[in-house]
Amino acid sequence: MPRLTIDGREIEAAAGRTVMEAATDAGIFIPYFCWHPKLSVPGNCRICVVGVEDKGGEWVEIACNMPVTEGMVVYTNSEKVRARRKATMQFITLNHPVDCGICDKAGECTLQDYHYEYNGERSISVDAKAHATKHYSLSPRIVLDNERCIQCTRCVRFTREISKSNGLGMQNRADHSLVRAVEDGSFANDPYSDNVIDICPVGALLSRSFLHKARVWYLKPTASVCPGCSRGCTVNLWHRRPEWRLRAPGMRAQNETIDRVTPLENPAVNGPWICNKGRDIAKVLGRARAETAMLKGRPAELQGAIAQARSLIAAARKPVAVVSSWASNEELAAFKAALGARFSVLVKADHEPEPGEVVQDDILIRADKNPNTAGARALFGEAPLALPPDADLVLVWGEGLDFGLIPAGAKIVYLNAWLQPENGHADVFFPTSIQTERDGHYTNFAGVTSAFTQCFPRPAGVADAQALFAALAGQAGGGE
Amino acid sequence: MTMPGRKVIMNFEVTPTSHSLEEYRARGGYATLEKALKLQPADITKEVTASGLLGHGGAAFPVGRKWGVMKPIPGEIHYLCANADEGEPGTFKDRWILENAPHLLVESMLITSYALGVRHAFVYIRGEFDLPYRRIQGAIDEAYAAGYLGKPVFGTDFALDIVVYRGAGSYVCGEASGLITSIEGRKPYPRNRPPRLTVRGLYQKPTVINNVESLANITGIIRMGAEEFRKIGTAKSPGTQLISISGHIAKPGVYEVEYGYPWAKFLDEDCGGMLHGAKMKCVVPGGISTKVLTRAEIEPLTLCHESVNPAGSGIGSGGMIAIAEGTCMVRLLQVLLRFYHHESCGQCTPCREGMGWMHRIIDRIVEGKGVPEDIDRLYAISAANDGTTICGMGDAAGYATVGILNKYRDEFEYFITNRRSKFDGRLECLA
Repeated sequence: MPRLTIDGREIEAAAGRTVMEAATDAGIFIPYFCWHPKLSVPGNCRICVVGVEDKGGEWVEIACNMPVTEGMVVYTNSEKVRARRKATMQFITLNHPVDCGICDKAGECTLQDYHYEYNGERSISVDAKAHATKHYSLSPRIVLDNERCIQCTRCVRFTREISKSNGLGMQNRADHSLVRAVEDGSFANDPYSDNVIDICPVGALLSRSFLHKARVWYLKPTASVCPGCSRGCTVNLWHRRPEWRLRAPGMRAQNETIDRVTPLENPAVNGPWICNKGRDIAKVLGRARAETAMLKGRPAELQGAIAQARSLIAAARKPVAVVSSWASNEELAAFKAALGARFSVLVKADHEPEPGEVVQDDILIRADKNPNTAGARALFGEAPLALPPDADLVLVWGEGLDFGLIPAGAKIVYLNAWLQPENGHADVFFPTSIQTERDGHYTNFAGVTSAFTQCFPRPAGVADAQALFAALAGQAGGGE
Repeated sequence: MTMPGRKVIMNFEVTPTSHSLEEYRARGGYATLEKALKLQPADITKEVTASGLLGHGGAAFPVGRKWGVMKPIPGEIHYLCANADEGEPGTFKDRWILENAPHLLVESMLITSYALGVRHAFVYIRGEFDLPYRRIQGAIDEAYAAGYLGKPVFGTDFALDIVVYRGAGSYVCGEASGLITSIEGRKPYPRNRPPRLTVRGLYQKPTVINNVESLANITGIIRMGAEEFRKIGTAKSPGTQLISISGHIAKPGVYEVEYGYPWAKFLDEDCGGMLHGAKMKCVVPGGISTKVLTRAEIEPLTLCHESVNPAGSGIGSGGMIAIAEGTCMVRLLQVLLRFYHHESCGQCTPCREGMGWMHRIIDRIVEGKGVPEDIDRLYAISAANDGTTICGMGDAAGYATVGILNKYRDEFEYFITNRRSKFDGRLECLA
């Protein structure tokens, strides 16, 4: 293993590593725009220059493409390096509009940070900036501002090396170069296209769904797990910071919505990427909620519904439970502990692939569109979903079960979070909380368990499943 | 054009049929190939290294050293590319070889391929070259028909295929790594080194890329032997240089000049002096990316690397441009910077932004809206491009700009102060 010195610190790096990788591993920061740990090295931004000591003195070279050698002496902050970085920042901001005031990236923009860190001065140019297209529709999901683009080609390389759609390319030459989508529409059909928004170091690639929606410093990321499929990618759900919540009446919707979803890097599951469905998971979680318990379709007090359900459970001769694969491990365990002995339990898929959706690929997307099938099956077995014809009470937990499958005459106790027609067909209906209103864990298809965290308070009238099962069990046990 | 001195390439009379296989064979063509195939491949490389042949593409990198990096591995694929993407403004020497001696190139490529263990070779030719393309493609077709290409030659097991690849005329395609990226069918972005192309080049295989003129010398070197070849030219610059001269000169054209020939004599006698008997202001020695030299500076110089390099310039690609007294250097720099801006590939930051910036500044000066700080700005941009770009183009534009600014700063200051050219913005040479 070659030993080298970076800024006077002696470090060891595996042969074949670059100076950039060796420095990053050792916790030494070298700035970069175009370099990305998961992508190939284009070496085009030229900001990662470092000084390397050689016989003829110090020469300046890019760190991202320089292999480490034995005895190498590297400076990341020498005078020469600072001068080069400053010059490069002058070039990069030469035609950049510096419209941070209206840019969604402001606050988390690499260019902003580096400007203060490595340049901090006005442009030495007096010429007008070169103009390019603004608000260019790259795909139905992504808007491109070519003036902000610094042509680092991260997005182009992402579509070539990670999503493999080859959907983007560079057009034209010199400062007329533009990122453009391939005419065959492969970028619009790329199920991972929105990752280019995250890896864009500036505000050139913008999400249409997040466009001008919020300044990022008003938002707070909460670690969560995407429930879109059994991969269970770890994500950050961005929502308004409690201290910045809007206090005007009727603002609950704005205060308690997920403004955007970004990947939470996790080498064990999804790396730094998620799919577009995961970005849109707020649409699934933000559907109209059921917030009142019901008895045969009529609104009822929660306590009255619990009493009714208890008596149904106590009276049943053959009770069957169909549990949700969107429930957390904690909720499933609570069900098993409280009611597992009383019910014969089956596991159902709450969601099936929708028409037009990518069912499965070899990158992230899995055919099972439920986050916790593995967790549920671990507790309740692999039995196929077939309701016995002599069942006289069916407890259905979560959406997605066709009530036509339930034997005629059987009583139905239904737990669901969403406002759906089936809710009124059940004998007893309980509204339950959703993922953003509680903490919990999901176990993905490969057996990796990831945690999600509460973002918003649970609405009044909505039951917490764990408490509900305990309440139901108290009566069922007491009746025997 | 005729010149005194010994010749390696222009050693025959050009007639309408002199490029044909028949006449090339009558001049002794393909006999050197037969001789070369009796040698060991390593001996050919050794011979070329011993000849001291310098690359003729512009950087004057020793050909033998480039070949030496590529250690032929049996069973491994190697490629050879002839760089016929002659795009440096003022340079048109390779065109002469492709038009008039295409078989010399084919034979040289055969010898080179044998030396380097190459089975497939490419000629990358710029799209604007029409007659050169037809001539080289015709020569390759003739060579296939005659059995020199496509199957084992002269009873050995060595066989070579040559493919002609026509580019679309982008300047960066002449940069070796841009060239192979273009052959691979992609946008010709030059590549970062390391790895060197002789380690990982075309299709990720070891590749040698040589200029057409460098390759054309190989046949001569093997025919006469390295020792004999070294007697031509000077000790440090062996051989000859094809010089394509244009601009305000009486007899523009391609001349084969033996290294060490007096420069002033070449211009005044062989090229017939300046056009319309004008006085000479300066000369671009070898393509616009080399720094201009004034008439006074070239007076003591001879045409060889060891003489021109210390003067702060270089022979470069041999694309010489003579510039007469009364030419506006501001307009001249504007033309150059327009070219560099247009041809920058836009891959890396300093060149992508810097070329456009310099072009906008010089345009503004020519419009009469220049400010005194513009000269400093041009210097600063040139300096920021020096050695920071992926390929040499950023540096080259800087050299050209600094070369002109250093020597003709007064013309720029005059233009900025008076909002008009010192020489009526003239680029042509009036009678």
